[in-house]
Amino acid sequence: MREQVVTVGHERPLVGIFCEPSSADMTDSRTAVILLNSGVIHRVGSCRLTVTLARAIAQTSGLSTFRFDFSGIGDSEARRGTLTAEQAAVEEVQEVMDHLSSWKQYDRFILYGLCSGAFAAYRTALEDPRVSATVQLDGYCYMTPKSYLLHYSRRLSSPGRWIKFLLRKLGLFKIKRGAELSGIDEQFFEVPDFASYPPKEDVAKGLEQLNLRNLQMLYVFMGNEHYKYETQFLDCFSSVPFKDNLKIIHQPLASHILSEPADRQTVVEAIAAWVKSTSRKLESHQAPRELDSPVSHGP
Amino acid sequence: MEAFFFGPSKSYLFGAFHPRHTNFQDEGVVLCNPFGQEYLRAHKSIRRLAINLAELGYPVLRFDYRGTGDSAGDLTGVTSQDWIDDIGHAIQELRDIASVSRVAVVGLRLGGLLAAKAAAENEDISRLILWDPIIDGDGYIEEIKSVIERAQHFGSRSKILEQDGTIHFNGFCMPKLFQESLARLRLNETTSDVTSPIAQFVSHESDDFASIQQHLGQRQTFHSELAPAPHDWNYVDHVGGILWPKPVIDAISRYFSTMTHQKMSHYA
Repeated sequence: MREQVVTVGHERPLVGIFCEPSSADMTDSRTAVILLNSGVIHRVGSCRLTVTLARAIAQTSGLSTFRFDFSGIGDSEARRGTLTAEQAAVEEVQEVMDHLSSWKQYDRFILYGLCSGAFAAYRTALEDPRVSATVQLDGYCYMTPKSYLLHYSRRLSSPGRWIKFLLRKLGLFKIKRGAELSGIDEQFFEVPDFASYPPKEDVAKGLEQLNLRNLQMLYVFMGNEHYKYETQFLDCFSSVPFKDNLKIIHQPLASHILSEPADRQTVVEAIAAWVKSTSRKLESHQAPRELDSPVSHGP
Repeated sequence: MEAFFFGPSKSYLFGAFHPRHTNFQDEGVVLCNPFGQEYLRAHKSIRRLAINLAELGYPVLRFDYRGTGDSAGDLTGVTSQDWIDDIGHAIQELRDIASVSRVAVVGLRLGGLLAAKAAAENEDISRLILWDPIIDGDGYIEEIKSVIERAQHFGSRSKILEQDGTIHFNGFCMPKLFQESLARLRLNETTSDVTSPIAQFVSHESDDFASIQQHLGQRQTFHSELAPAPHDWNYVDHVGGILWPKPVIDAISRYFSTMTHQKMSHYA
């Protein structure tokens, strides 16, 4: 395995680390895995998860990886423009794919992201057919009748919850979030903005579209308020014909940022194994590359 | 900014170099990170400080210790002395790329304690700047352990592994070997061996910081400043917020602006 710092773009380049398997370990020279930022954490990822995963994929799955900072995060400077952060994220992933295509001739990409990184992976996959697979940790999912039932049945049987409910109704208890909960003044505490959760119908349509082109999808859900049981994602998007394109892993005891080493190791190993088998599947389903053909997405 | 890997090939280190903008200063600055979740939450602040100092004419190198960030490996078999050696590698790298004759070190939290040891071992370090420093390696480990134990009453799964003594704290591991090597470090003892000027910047008042002030206050070249700011680096929210203690960053920048090495040398 070899790592090098790579910058993408000219005036205000995106800063990232390219991690390449040794030639003996390389299993797929057409596919690269791109790992995206989560919220405002820089590219090493929450609890160093992104570094651990990038190296595991290179070493045990034989694929190259690239972890980088979106503009305005970590080591990448902010860029001027009229795009929203969500739109800019898609453009920047495409810019990275262009760069890797031109430099190393990759023509297929697997996008990985946790939380906001998962959302960016999904949106980029919708925009760009070079994305062959996505790995989304706590990606878009919505409550179902069963998850509501599980959610409220536990709350209804909890005296503490009832007391809080009554205190809330009486205006004596307020749910605190973000800076309020930390007690740190907002000007000294930067938290990600996840305001733009799209309507469920839009995501269902997007998933239908992605399945038409056989995008391979791994969804990992950790324990959280909104994901209550293993097959919730399937029930949530029951109208979508996933065929054999989808795999779901549920880690109900794991925290959103995978702060426990055992949970992290389980998830990293599962993703690395899935990436390896998926790249083989892509290889068998897709036409061989014409070695002399020009790269179509060069910068 | 220019990013690259440097140092020994088997334990290569990630570095981000900020070249000086104007006002040539013949002094570079190496920034030393804290540990674990504090490192993640401090990344933006450390980067901002690097940018500010580069604008004042100081070439700056910030870097990740071995087993952390983008640097090679993990903490298996690593000691605090390895991290102190990494500070030495960073100083040498900065000398090579910026052609400065002197290098100052700035350390935040655990980075302060390690930077002090590096300054005690290296007479060429021009000054030592401590930012909310850890003053006692053993006390720091005990503090982490007590936080883990208290948090378990609230459902936290952070723990101290009984088999090998590794601490799992807020998503980061500190193996026993590292703890043992760290436990021996004391800031007050270490700074006695530091001959260069020392400055302390603190975000709040504490007995620890007062003891440093008392210990070093007699020195003509000691500067201490309180810049009130949030300092709960280990507060972890579930969405990964980061801390931004601007008053301290501004205070350190002001110090470098007004107390250039040339002016400091009058005190020496």
